[in-house]
Amino acid sequence: MLIISIKFYQNCSSNLKFKTSFRNCILEAFKRRLWKETDGDDWDIMWAEKEWIHEVMDHTHLQSNQKINHFRNHYELTRKDLMIKNLKRFKKNLEREGKQDDANNYNFFPLTFHLPSEYPIFFEEFKRQCSNGETKTAWIMKPIGKSQGKGIFIFNKIQQISQWKNTLRYNQDNPQAEAYIVQKYIADPLLIGGKKFDMRIYLLCTSYQPLTLYLYRTGFARFTHHRYDNEDITNTYVHLTNVAIQKTSDNYDEKLGGKWNLQTLKLYLMTKYGQEKVAETFYNIQMLMVRSLQAVQKIIINDKHCFELYGFDILLDAQLKPWLLEVNASPSMTSNTPVDFELKCGLLDDVFTIIDLEKVLTGNEEQIGGFDLICKGSPIKLPINSTFTTYLGAFNNRQQQLKKIAKSTAIRLAQTYQETQTKAIEIGSKGQKEKEEKDKQMRSSSKGPQAMQNGVNGSNKPNNQSKQNTIMKRNTTNLPALGTVQNRSNIKRQPLQNAGQQQQQLQQSQSNSSKKNNPNEESMLSANQKLQKLTQESKINQFQPYKQQSQYNDVMGMGSRNQQKNEE
Amino acid sequence: MQQLDNQEILMKLKASKQFWDIKKKIKQGFNEQLKIGVNDIQKFAQSCEIEDQLIKLISHILKKSKKRETLKEDQIEFLNTSKIKWTELLFKNLDIVHQKTKNQEEDDTNTDSKLYIYDEKNLLAFLQTFKQQQSNSLYQNVQFQSNKLLNINIPLKSSQSILDKYQYLLLQEELQDDKINKIRKQIENEHLDIELEKIAQNFVPNGERCLLYLKYFEFDHQETVIQQNFAKLQKECSNQLFYDELLEIDGHEISEDTFYFVFQEQILTCLKCFIRDKTIKENIRIQLQSGLKKENTEFQLPVAGFFPFKNISKYVAPICYLSTKIHIIYALFKEFFCRYFCFLHSISSENNSILALCMQIEEIVSTRSPKLFHHLKVIGSDTLKLIMHQLVYCFIGDMDPPHILTIYDQIIGHDSLEILIILCVGFLNKYKPKLLLAKNYENVQQIFSELREDKFQELVQFAYKQ
Repeated sequence: MLIISIKFYQNCSSNLKFKTSFRNCILEAFKRRLWKETDGDDWDIMWAEKEWIHEVMDHTHLQSNQKINHFRNHYELTRKDLMIKNLKRFKKNLEREGKQDDANNYNFFPLTFHLPSEYPIFFEEFKRQCSNGETKTAWIMKPIGKSQGKGIFIFNKIQQISQWKNTLRYNQDNPQAEAYIVQKYIADPLLIGGKKFDMRIYLLCTSYQPLTLYLYRTGFARFTHHRYDNEDITNTYVHLTNVAIQKTSDNYDEKLGGKWNLQTLKLYLMTKYGQEKVAETFYNIQMLMVRSLQAVQKIIINDKHCFELYGFDILLDAQLKPWLLEVNASPSMTSNTPVDFELKCGLLDDVFTIIDLEKVLTGNEEQIGGFDLICKGSPIKLPINSTFTTYLGAFNNRQQQLKKIAKSTAIRLAQTYQETQTKAIEIGSKGQKEKEEKDKQMRSSSKGPQAMQNGVNGSNKPNNQSKQNTIMKRNTTNLPALGTVQNRSNIKRQPLQNAGQQQQQLQQSQSNSSKKNNPNEESMLSANQKLQKLTQESKINQFQPYKQQSQYNDVMGMGSRNQQKNEE
Repeated sequence: MQQLDNQEILMKLKASKQFWDIKKKIKQGFNEQLKIGVNDIQKFAQSCEIEDQLIKLISHILKKSKKRETLKEDQIEFLNTSKIKWTELLFKNLDIVHQKTKNQEEDDTNTDSKLYIYDEKNLLAFLQTFKQQQSNSLYQNVQFQSNKLLNINIPLKSSQSILDKYQYLLLQEELQDDKINKIRKQIENEHLDIELEKIAQNFVPNGERCLLYLKYFEFDHQETVIQQNFAKLQKECSNQLFYDELLEIDGHEISEDTFYFVFQEQILTCLKCFIRDKTIKENIRIQLQSGLKKENTEFQLPVAGFFPFKNISKYVAPICYLSTKIHIIYALFKEFFCRYFCFLHSISSENNSILALCMQIEEIVSTRSPKLFHHLKVIGSDTLKLIMHQLVYCFIGDMDPPHILTIYDQIIGHDSLEILIILCVGFLNKYKPKLLLAKNYENVQQIFSELREDKFQELVQFAYKQ
């Protein structure tokens, strides 16, 4: 059935093994790629919990092919207090170096203090603000070690934290004291429908040296379920957008989960504020993320085994200025609606494609699935004539893009395979000729090494050609600014496929393909012929689109079964 | 002296304090029926060489100041009696709905979400009854051979003139940034109706729409008044009405729309205030119901003068994309409803009325796509039955909010609902190939239950496609 087959790949998709303790979208995304789960140490990719990294990673030797989803000291960015500390430090360094303009760009985090260690400075600041007449300034207390909005509270009178302060656990010298950060509360957030919201945006870092970042086009805005009230600072439903908190609200809507995807949010903002202003805001958000990672670039221990998917929490104020709330190293991959489920599975699928365990990518791709490369050593600037300043919140054309990438990769791999075959034949025949020549030379005087050199140079040419074919251009024609149909309400959750069945199907197809195709014949076909044949077959088998398409993608290690089915 | 163009003169005029003083004087003078100091105006105009502009301005102010009478009586008597019958019918429906809610309170398990006084299907069914009645009583000698659902003798514009009027939309292209900036400045500086309408007809950049609407409705300097009025109405909402319950049920449907669920609370608040707003009766262009109270009924019409109907929330929803301030949303919704949407729910022979719009659509489809028209008739899904929802609710829920707001622009631009005729025809043409394959009503329903995306410009293109 399939002509472009497994043998073209260094790593066959179905031989890859994963390990994870998560039982949510992560497991589903792994299964959709037909990778095998393992409990042992023979994994190719591990989606570990943060704790595993801290406890086990330093004592484990990783194989060169193994990939893991956290950097060793990711907490330098993802722990609330350390993130602020590093951002402050980086800003100071820039000021010291005389880069005042760059330093001024680090204005996206609120005034923050670490408690209990910085309590005296905080108290001074608090008093100063009160004496300035800013009596209504609210502050937010966040425990450092907790997530999902646990332990957070807001106050505007110092007495309100006296109870917390007087607890036994609060003691500067007590190592057991629960650390908090206290931040100036952003009191004028942008309200939509009278409700507060924050944005969750996904950023993938595959390397800190050089800093390589991919930004996912789709994120979401999480709304509170109650109207915002600046006076009522005790009601957490009004102020905290965490799904974990909002879920407990009486009028929590399970169907929509209190979320807008980023495209819908952008559409709203564009309608309300105009394209120019929104484009600027979204570009600022992108730069905020790049700058955050640049601030810790030299602190994070770079490791070729590691990658990290960050969940950035960003708040917009009434002037559309983005504020960084926090960075999550383990953004929730549990879904609360079918749309959310598809978003997260698609996101993870694209992460796996970028990690490239199959080793099929060139590394020059500017877009992979819903991810756009935004930084490689330095931030990537879009062409001047581009209608976009950032692809964040643009139409997520991941399905089409994956198909394109799969097609071009298939052609390249087939060509490379053909070239290596030809090379092998050439080397074989050359070896024979050389042997004959050597024999001749043995008989007479020789110029052997020169001939050898010529042979090597000659074999380099086809490789250069294939490289030309691999340069992929970003296609912007498929990027309507306001496309939002993908995530409209009637996207239905597809039934999940049984992993066992999928494996059986693949094995069957593999055996079919090996039966049908004579490998010698196949190697003689040009890449284009193969592709044509593939296209023809897909036409013949149009009544089994699911099977055909999924096999195509499975071999490529791209796309996901259910989504392909949906699209067709 | 350097010659200035009209726009520049006007801008210069508006920059002076005197302009606003004179405008205020003229307005006050007219409202309070006092004599306006013509000499003052003339003197000023002469000194600035802007007499023409001032005449234009004065006529604009006079037009605006003229109190618009609510249309109570129709020129066709038959429609007046029909409106009374329609109101009686709605009172009956109200009783049924009330009974249902009572039953629900007693029995929690019996939850009927279809609690509304009427919907677009009821309205169409009622309009359909006109054909027989009219033929029986008024036009006994006339043979009605037409296949059309509605065939009533009311004055109608020619279909071709409507098609010609909107043909310019086919040539609309996305504008470059510099042009957008120019329009933006124009909106900021413009106050005359005619000029604002021209802008609305062509292109309103995102982000400027709210200002344009506010200026067109003359709200731009009245935000405090609007806010105070809204606050008063909000206070009144503390007295619960039976209609509030119906509005809440109606809001649930909008809460299932991805684009609007965030605004559910604001929409409900606006509607609760709307049915309590006494000024609606004065401002609404046409009376929706006759206001006769049926004997022995427990309820009366709300203060607004008409019954809330199914999906009334839809009309508020897109306006939530224009402002974060609820009193602005309310003011814009109120104006849109009182000026335009009221016609979509009134039994009348006016050009904007649902009856006229329906007949125009039937006329265009039956002449330009007779095959489709006939096919739909045969399979029991008449053109109007198919399109009624989109027509009555201005495609809200069928298109993304920016596209809906483009429809609103056109409504303001032409001070008319005729754009809906073009869009409905375009909608039918777009799905024509699929509709022609449909064998029954279920097939048709299936076509529209599929995920689809309709766009303003696309439907306009389809409308003119032969």
